[in-house]
Amino acid sequence: MAAAWLGLLVLVAVAAPWLPLPYPPNVPDLAHVAQAPLSPGQHWLGTDAQGLDVLSLLVYGSRTAVFITFPAAVLAAMVGGVLGGAAGFWGNRVRAAAGYWLLALGAAWWFLRLPMFGLGLLMAAAGVARLLWRPRRGAAYSTSVPLDAAVMGVATALDTIPHLVLVLAIAAGTGGVSALGLLAILAFTAWSTPARLVRAQMRRTRALPFTEAAQAAGIPAWQIWLKHAMPHAISPLRAALPLSLARLLGLESTLSFLGVGLPPEVASWGRLMASFRYDTSAWWVFVFPITILTFSMLSLHFLSSAPRRQAAR
Amino acid sequence: MRIRWARDPETLDPLFAPNLAAFDANNLLHVSLLQGDIATQQLAPALAEQLPTVQLVGDSLTRLQYRIRPAATWDNGRAVLASDVDFTLKLMLCPGLPNEAARNQYSFIRAVLPHPQDPRRFTLLCRGQSLEFAQASGDFFILPEHSLDPRGLLRRWSLADLQRQPLPLPADSGARAVAQQYLAAVASRSSNRLSGCGPYELLKWEKDRFLSFRRKPRWWGSRLQPAPLVLQARPQQLEYVIIPDVATAALALQRGDVDVFPQMPAREFARLRAAPAARSALRFYTSPSYDVATAGFNTRHPALADALTRRALSRCFDAAGLLRATQLGEGQRTVGIISPADRANYNDSLAPVPFAPDSAVALLRRAGWQRRSAPHEGWFRSTGRGADQQLRLLVRYRAEEVLFGTVALQFQAAAASIGVPVTLRPTEPGTFATAMRSGDFDVYLRVLRGNPFMFNFTQLLHSASANNVTKFGTPASDRLIAAIARADNPARRTALLRQFQALLQAEAPIVPLFYLPNRVAANRALTGLHVGSLRPGFAAATIERVAQPAP
Repeated sequence: MAAAWLGLLVLVAVAAPWLPLPYPPNVPDLAHVAQAPLSPGQHWLGTDAQGLDVLSLLVYGSRTAVFITFPAAVLAAMVGGVLGGAAGFWGNRVRAAAGYWLLALGAAWWFLRLPMFGLGLLMAAAGVARLLWRPRRGAAYSTSVPLDAAVMGVATALDTIPHLVLVLAIAAGTGGVSALGLLAILAFTAWSTPARLVRAQMRRTRALPFTEAAQAAGIPAWQIWLKHAMPHAISPLRAALPLSLARLLGLESTLSFLGVGLPPEVASWGRLMASFRYDTSAWWVFVFPITILTFSMLSLHFLSSAPRRQAAR
Repeated sequence: MRIRWARDPETLDPLFAPNLAAFDANNLLHVSLLQGDIATQQLAPALAEQLPTVQLVGDSLTRLQYRIRPAATWDNGRAVLASDVDFTLKLMLCPGLPNEAARNQYSFIRAVLPHPQDPRRFTLLCRGQSLEFAQASGDFFILPEHSLDPRGLLRRWSLADLQRQPLPLPADSGARAVAQQYLAAVASRSSNRLSGCGPYELLKWEKDRFLSFRRKPRWWGSRLQPAPLVLQARPQQLEYVIIPDVATAALALQRGDVDVFPQMPAREFARLRAAPAARSALRFYTSPSYDVATAGFNTRHPALADALTRRALSRCFDAAGLLRATQLGEGQRTVGIISPADRANYNDSLAPVPFAPDSAVALLRRAGWQRRSAPHEGWFRSTGRGADQQLRLLVRYRAEEVLFGTVALQFQAAAASIGVPVTLRPTEPGTFATAMRSGDFDVYLRVLRGNPFMFNFTQLLHSASANNVTKFGTPASDRLIAAIARADNPARRTALLRQFQALLQAEAPIVPLFYLPNRVAANRALTGLHVGSLRPGFAAATIERVAQPAP
């Protein structure tokens, strides 16, 4: 049932431009403003306080929900999986040569746009030179990288700030966001949970006999990580992805409800719900999107607990 | 008495109020020589004893004689004098203050001539002769010289000296010092900030929550018998509660947490008026207003520099449909920025701009635009040098204004139907003002607020004005604006105003959509609520609560 509902939602989202909707979602019908469902005219689910067709807004809102939250959740899972997997596998023991440190410093200099741009460039160049002309003999001047501490530190720092506040601050600081920008922001705030899950699983996987056997066989560490350990470590994401999707769906709707999410011409369930404030007698602009949102979130929660239920049987 | 405001006034600067809320608050704190009487829709004497006596001198000078009411005093008991009027006019010209508007508006006053025997009596010597001088000369709040310039720094220079820009160095440094003193006084949110000679004092200001005003115990206006409407101050305390959300404000009104809800949106007003429970607890008032919903084009942008393109785009606004949809048909369509209620000056020989995207296409072609198909879809025009111009528009409006959200969506849809891409950018109020000043827009949507007394369009549309955000201006339009401001008889002014409306429609730097109605809902237990067309649409200081019978 949950899968069927979500499947229908995805189908509607993908097929939205080809559906025979009587009105486009962002063209106001000024002759029928705040019209109730099934009133004369072709607005089957009514119109909002701006004369926008509720049915079209729901259909295109599902498109926004699917095409923003799904890629954001997948991106967050990928980023979190890679970072958490690396942190769990290598911990704080991996050593990096001085050249890599210099290169990383130069890149950070450029990324943070620090003053004296030339100095950052010089560092990066020195790092590259050091890596290309490594001394064949003598000390390699390498230092351990606190990879685990860094990943978990950033994830903890990210979790200490409420995500809604963080996203609001980013959106306000950038003066509004595009659909792609919102996707990036949502992904940025959501990677910490997958990272923690994969890291924990990776620490268990690393201690398993097949990993030790692979190390004993002389297989390079990165190959063991990628080909043998990661497929096991990412298994918790199967259950976590639907939950992440539900959370991002809620966050996107909240942002649109607050009017800081997407541009005004992009349909969104959250914005449709917000339009209830402009005409509190228009119950249909609230009831329809909240029902769809609730069904979608319940379905995602149900899907996330499916593996647990299967295991219990 | 609690009144709903949609937003915080940000500053209570009496000379340069940035928004309507600030203007309302300043009306409580300060008094000008003349003030709009909401009951009669006329300017009435406030601080002045009576309307000024006008004396024409030759054919190029006017003398306006005023006398300040003998009862008028500052909080410390000092009399309000002609020297305070002189000081206020000079303060408006001080460098370091945002005085571009004041410079345009009051530049006709060349000197304040005090009466040798009576310190309350003075003559304003004005350059030129105009119908509007009498009204315009009294339309600014008078500020206390003794608290803002105790050393009398500005007395060393005449008004004419300060009108010359740039100022000579000694005058400049002295004037800057006074301006600093003024800015420091108005920046404070505390109750001991700059006090005026108005009936109320600021009691408490919690930003974005409320402003509380208390009637002064010894308000000089209460000694006047009978007290004119503009000087009445009946409520002991006035509290302006800031509730941005309309639904929340309407709920507060119904629960009795707010007594007056001015400028109520049409749908909420209609909903409450139709609800029996609300009808029994509230009274509903409507009147025409001088607020006109407009779109404006940024004529600095090459694509919008020519009148034909602007006229084409103005046909993408469905003003009639928008009036019906957003104001439920109340309000009035208009051909220009003169209210249709002003029958003498409104140019009824013009027809409102039609909603006709098809004819917009023909106009765009006449303007030299050519429509291209994919992959480079859109309207392009050859500039003769470099890359072709593309017609694409960025529309800015204040994010919280639902009316303009609908206007923007309608315009975007109509423009898209003829192949013109439009990006909507709802903007926070502070950023909106900055964007207007810096020209970071192609089309703006906002309300222009007018009045029935004065028709000086210099600030709004003269090419030399810094406040002219469209940057429109031609020699002909500048001449016409100046001639309207100088018109010395009603018939001449009417002819010029009609000509001006025709010129504006032909040049289309702004597109007046419709005049908004004024809607006020108030608690039934209130009396003395005067509702009218003058801003803010009602008189707060005359309201009283009916005494409840003792149980």
